[in-house]
Amino acid sequence: MQPHFDRLWRLAMRLTGRKAEAEDLFQELLIKAYGKLDDLVAIDEPGSWLCRVMYNLFIDEQRRFARRRMHTVDEGFLPGDGLEGLAGDEDPVRDNERLDKLKQLDQALQQLSDEHRIIVLLHDTEGYKLNEIHELMNIPVGTVKSRLHRARARLREILTQGGTFS
Amino acid sequence: MHNSDLDTYQDKEDQEILELLKDYPMQDASAGFYDQAMARAAHEGTRRQRNRWVMTGFGSALAAGLVLWLIGGFFLTTPNLPEPALSEPVASIPGVTMTLEQPRTVNLVFASKTALTDATLTVTLPDGVELAGFPGQREITWQTSLAEGRNLLPLELIALTPTGGEVLARLEHEDRNRTFRLRIDVS
Repeated sequence: MQPHFDRLWRLAMRLTGRKAEAEDLFQELLIKAYGKLDDLVAIDEPGSWLCRVMYNLFIDEQRRFARRRMHTVDEGFLPGDGLEGLAGDEDPVRDNERLDKLKQLDQALQQLSDEHRIIVLLHDTEGYKLNEIHELMNIPVGTVKSRLHRARARLREILTQGGTFS
Repeated sequence: MHNSDLDTYQDKEDQEILELLKDYPMQDASAGFYDQAMARAAHEGTRRQRNRWVMTGFGSALAAGLVLWLIGGFFLTTPNLPEPALSEPVASIPGVTMTLEQPRTVNLVFASKTALTDATLTVTLPDGVELAGFPGQREITWQTSLAEGRNLLPLELIALTPTGGEVLARLEHEDRNRTFRLRIDVS
């Protein structure tokens, strides 16, 4: 399983949006997969299989994760709390502008529904292809496309209303 | 890895959103998290495995070789220890030597000539020896079922003091019972 850990961690972070929840999800996946190690050897694409199992675990526990996320957002938590680490290029003014925009993007993403936020992050941030999202989420490619389109439109709307883009 | 199979970000504003999304950061896993998660998964997997019993299939030839031991319903032995000869005195107790604070898995085998439902297994531990996953508990009881043949029960034991003692595993079904004793020496 180890060769897939980085990929699984990224998926866990994108699904849950927070490190503590990502650790829980990752751990639950490993426990579930540990009992199926023999089966895993026979699977053609174990990485994709593990991702699907993780996604299904997330869906099963979605209410729990959503409740936690709501709680942390109420406390003013930004899921992308690694944002500060992005500063440090040679142009501090430009860095700060970029950092501000990323924070606004972060807040805008939290206003999307789970299904929209996950699809836009997987496709536009993680580089998943439509077909990969279709296989992961077990929804038709056409549905992936329409959700991605709506998610992007909503994101644009929020960011424009918030003044991120004039 | 970014793809353009649905690139609806057409104008400058949309391109900027896409660029931001590509840079949208996330936290890395903490140092050592993967190893810890694997260790916990292995531990939890073993515990769940123990709770539901691992039914092992052994060939009929091996089962036939055990037929004398199966008289009376069920029998218990430890496959990772030398099996006692039939002529060995009953008082001879199998034993293992453990290293202090080093977990060791001892496999107990319960052989039954028929499938048994609603059997009760009670493991009693001496002071200073714990079962992984059950800290501080001296006696642990499971309700379980046995398949026909040999049923493997791995017990991960940890010696916390150098005292040692005897582990008792008592299997009960209806009005029958068997108690297995395992001597623990700690080095």
